[in-house]
Amino acid sequence: MSIAGPILEARDLTKRYALGQTTVDALRGVSLTVQPGEFVALMGASGSGKSTLLHLLGGLDRPTSGEVILGGETISDLDDDAATRLRRDRTGFVFQFFNLIPLLDASENIGLPFTIAGQDPRRGEAADRIRDVLGLVDLAGKERHRPDQLSAGEQQRVAIARALVNRPDIVLADEPTGNLDFTTGGEILEALWRSCAQRGQTIVLVTHDAKAAAYADRVEVVQDGVIRDEIVLGRRSDHAASPLIARLAQLGL
Amino acid sequence: MTGLDRLAWRSLWARPLRTTLSVIGIALGVAVLFAALATNAGIEAGIGRTVDDVMGRSDLRVGAFEEHGLSQASLVAIRATPGVAVAAPLLEQRTYLQRDPLATSAASADAYLAPVAVIALDPAIDGAVGGIHEVRLAAGLGLPSGRDAEALVPAAFAHDLGLELGGSVTLLGVNGPVSFKVVGLLAGKGPDPTTGERTIIVPLAASAALFGPRGVSWVDVTLAGSYTVDGVAAALDQRLTFEPYVLSDRADLAATLQASTAGFQAMTALIAAVTLFGGAFLIFNTLSMTLSERVREIGLLRAAGASRRQIQRLVFCQALVLGVAGSILGLLLGFGLSILIAGTVGSLGEGVPIDGPVVPLPGVVLAAVIGLLVTFAAALEPAIQAGRISPIEALRPPVAGRSSIASQMRWLVAVVVTVGVAGLALWPIGLGPAGSGADPGATIARPLLVYAVLLGVTLLTPLILGPLGRLAGLPFALFLPAETRLSRGSLARDRKRTALTVGALTIGLAMIVALGSLAGNARAATEAWLTDVIPGDLVATSIRPISADEGVAQQLAAVGGVARVSPIARFAVAFRGVRLDAAAVSGSDLATDGRLTFVAGERRAALTALDAGGSTIVPRAIADEFGLQVGDTLQFPVGGGEAVAERIVGIVARGMPGQSGEAVLLGWPDATGRFGVLGADAFAIRFAPNRATDAGPTLAATARGLALEPTPLAGIEGAISDAFGRVFGLFDALALLAVVIAGLGIVNTLTMNVYERVREIGILRAVGLSRRQVWRMVVVEAGIMGVVGAFLGCLAGVVLGFALGGVAGLGWASGAPTIPWLTIGLAAAFGIGIAMLAAFQPARIASRISIVRAVQFE
Ligand SMILES: Nc1ncnc2c1ncn2[C@@H]1O[C@H](COP(=O)(O)OP(=O)(O)OP(=O)(O)O)[C@@H](O)[C@H]1O
Ligand SMILES: [Mg+2]
Repeated sequence: MSIAGPILEARDLTKRYALGQTTVDALRGVSLTVQPGEFVALMGASGSGKSTLLHLLGGLDRPTSGEVILGGETISDLDDDAATRLRRDRTGFVFQFFNLIPLLDASENIGLPFTIAGQDPRRGEAADRIRDVLGLVDLAGKERHRPDQLSAGEQQRVAIARALVNRPDIVLADEPTGNLDFTTGGEILEALWRSCAQRGQTIVLVTHDAKAAAYADRVEVVQDGVIRDEIVLGRRSDHAASPLIARLAQLGL
Repeated sequence: MTGLDRLAWRSLWARPLRTTLSVIGIALGVAVLFAALATNAGIEAGIGRTVDDVMGRSDLRVGAFEEHGLSQASLVAIRATPGVAVAAPLLEQRTYLQRDPLATSAASADAYLAPVAVIALDPAIDGAVGGIHEVRLAAGLGLPSGRDAEALVPAAFAHDLGLELGGSVTLLGVNGPVSFKVVGLLAGKGPDPTTGERTIIVPLAASAALFGPRGVSWVDVTLAGSYTVDGVAAALDQRLTFEPYVLSDRADLAATLQASTAGFQAMTALIAAVTLFGGAFLIFNTLSMTLSERVREIGLLRAAGASRRQIQRLVFCQALVLGVAGSILGLLLGFGLSILIAGTVGSLGEGVPIDGPVVPLPGVVLAAVIGLLVTFAAALEPAIQAGRISPIEALRPPVAGRSSIASQMRWLVAVVVTVGVAGLALWPIGLGPAGSGADPGATIARPLLVYAVLLGVTLLTPLILGPLGRLAGLPFALFLPAETRLSRGSLARDRKRTALTVGALTIGLAMIVALGSLAGNARAATEAWLTDVIPGDLVATSIRPISADEGVAQQLAAVGGVARVSPIARFAVAFRGVRLDAAAVSGSDLATDGRLTFVAGERRAALTALDAGGSTIVPRAIADEFGLQVGDTLQFPVGGGEAVAERIVGIVARGMPGQSGEAVLLGWPDATGRFGVLGADAFAIRFAPNRATDAGPTLAATARGLALEPTPLAGIEGAISDAFGRVFGLFDALALLAVVIAGLGIVNTLTMNVYERVREIGILRAVGLSRRQVWRMVVVEAGIMGVVGAFLGCLAGVVLGFALGGVAGLGWASGAPTIPWLTIGLAAAFGIGIAMLAAFQPARIASRISIVRAVQFE
């Protein structure tokens, strides 16, 4: 990966779903660049295409047209094996629901990328990294808890730790605070923020909550499958939502 | 149909694969059960038919013990006994058929065709329509005169010989060949089905020319008016004092035949029960899976006002649909299967009488009822669980492994008990009215034992699944560490489900291994037995008794390379009112050859005493049965109110093989002098060391020249083994069905595991698991189940093999049990193979799961 230039670049992405006779254009030409270490939020109404865009950015799905370039490499036309390796080594995902394998405890869930790669997550560098991210998401002492013994917020932080553990080029989070209360959501966003601020982790966060989006350096507003506006907030450690809310109001959102 | 019932129907419909698998599972269970019932009913019918064929219209048979037969005086006494309406004398004797009447030399063996059985009857009483033994004619007139040298020949046999009506057959008699004119062709076989098609019927009056003056083999008696079998038998016992005889009625004959098939019938019943058990596993798994999938849906129904009862009805409704469909399909499959089984059994020869499967109406009902019962028993626990689901569950995230292992095992015990009790209670009904002769205790003990062992193993499975699964995972972990870790996790998720799935596989494989071990034991025991008792490398058999003064033994001994020729005769003696097999042997030959294993008595002294007379050597089995000891004196009645006394001088581990068990050994002087044995019917021939190969052909030629049939010991073993092989092959095929059912269970469980884990698999894929890895993960999951099932199955099978020992009734020997390594290897490979094959479809489904869809919606 080159130090100079964007770490992630989307060029004129479209995504069309076939639904029986009709088709749905979930994305109609989205272009986006993310610089290394940047924290970007995607905002928009329900059904505007945020999740679809995020899936394409992480190589979970392939665009109908356009391309996605991660660290200088086009990832939007990878075959399944290559896309799988990409997910394992270079991206980290956090979803709104069901991030964890119920059977595995917190540290085992975090160690999944290592397990999948055939390494023993209880030994060597893998173990160090797991301990490290556990501290980062403030879950030290809970490594032996299974998901059903963790609160919803703790579960999401385990998911974030797993997304971070293999030091991916980029972490993609789809409404990680979606069904949580304000305080719990705050803990999760703090964890993401710390990884960005302290480790220089690049993050793309999907949310429809302005308070969550206020953690980001920059907010992209998605509407009907296109990026309608960009709101640059800059890095702020107070995460005040009022400037963003004011800008959104100006835009009539 | 209420709205909820329709829901039951639709939810089965929504998962066609799983529904089909469960229906097939039940169907296979019912099919094997039904086939076993139909086969056993066929055997019962075969026994009935055999009794009819043998006894004709008669009620009692007076059989001769001695080769001299029953004298004219006996016949007269029988006819004079009150209550005897008709007494039909019959003589059966084996001889050779000579084709060319001009070739008179007995020594030119080629002039003779294979041996035939001659049945001589009195045409005035027998043979015609309305006679005691009815002979159905295909062509010709029967035996009108009753005196002339006329014969009836089975049409098929005549065709083989190129004989026509009016042609002649020449039989070898005691004074040379005698020709008979063929005056009729028989439609079926002769009156004695055991002689097969090679039977020739002649008038009793004309038989003297063939066999010389001698008594008849038996007299069949019909009773007059109100006399009872027991009454007439008692009266006969008073009057018959001329020579030893044995009385048997139709029930005795049926009981003898039944005893010889009891082991076989018990075995088919057992396998059927086990297969059905496997089917029950499948149903239970299906219903409880469907349930755990729909916890939320049921919660919603409860929230909307559905009662506990309604929910339980829903589950039972599904069970009913599955049970009915499975039972109907099973009956159809079972009918086909029973035809195949009857064919196989029929080809076994005389061992098991069967003409074809008989469809017993009670059997149809029984199989269907048991199928439904098992389905309902299997539905009980899921239904109770479903009823317990509270409306709040609709709101809670699903929790894996709801019910405890204890409750699962409660269920298992319930199903086993249901199947067991239903089977035991209803089994005799299924056999129909004929199935009453066999001792029910002996038949039932074995299935119970097997059930107990299998239940024990299944109950143990969940407890040892953890450590065993980890061990079983080791070989997989070597190559696929990541997949193995994940598979182990998902197997551990729902331990009871895994345990049940593995349990079904265990049971099927245990049956295969147990059968293999039984077959192996039987073969080894036969081999050891024959080697232990027969003083020779080969046995030359004769179809007529050869007396010592004919010099046959000397002629055989004169062949270069032959070390010893030992005459053997097999006959029957009466002892405490039952028939015992006896064998005349030469004690000195047995001593020199080092045969027989003595468990009591001194070897050399005993064998010397045998040749001196007045002594007998008894096999352990008979000694145990009658409580005999060395030094006891046995009384063998020989007619005229007299008995021969023989002192036991030794007890041996195994006696000579007899017709229906082991034979007591008697010396030649006693056999000829006291029991009326005319001569040897076999010669055991021992070659000098290293001469077997070069002396063999000369000896065989000499033996054939003397009208003897030489068979190497290995050949006798081979023939017995062949019969075993076919019987056990049949059992194996049935047991394989149980494994196939287990395979279906694995498909079911894995598919369920996959559907339950769609989201998890989605997450794993998102985190970087490749399609291939997902595929392998599911296959490894199956592989681990296969390894665990194979291990437990083989273990249980060996235990069962030891526990069952010899299967009574098929006449095979029991011996020290051996571990059938080959069978174990094959069964294990088969089990693991089936398991991994079963993973194919579920693995495909799993590897095609779309990440985006899996993680998108709640
Ligand atoms: N697999 C699919 N098949 C058909 N249409 C789809 C599929 N996935 C998404 N869509 C459609 O694409 C559009 C965008 O969906 P997307 O999930 O990206 O929206 P979103 O912005 O994430 O909404 P939300 O805030 O509700 O999560 C919607 O209209 C949706 O109905
Ligand atoms: Mg979305």
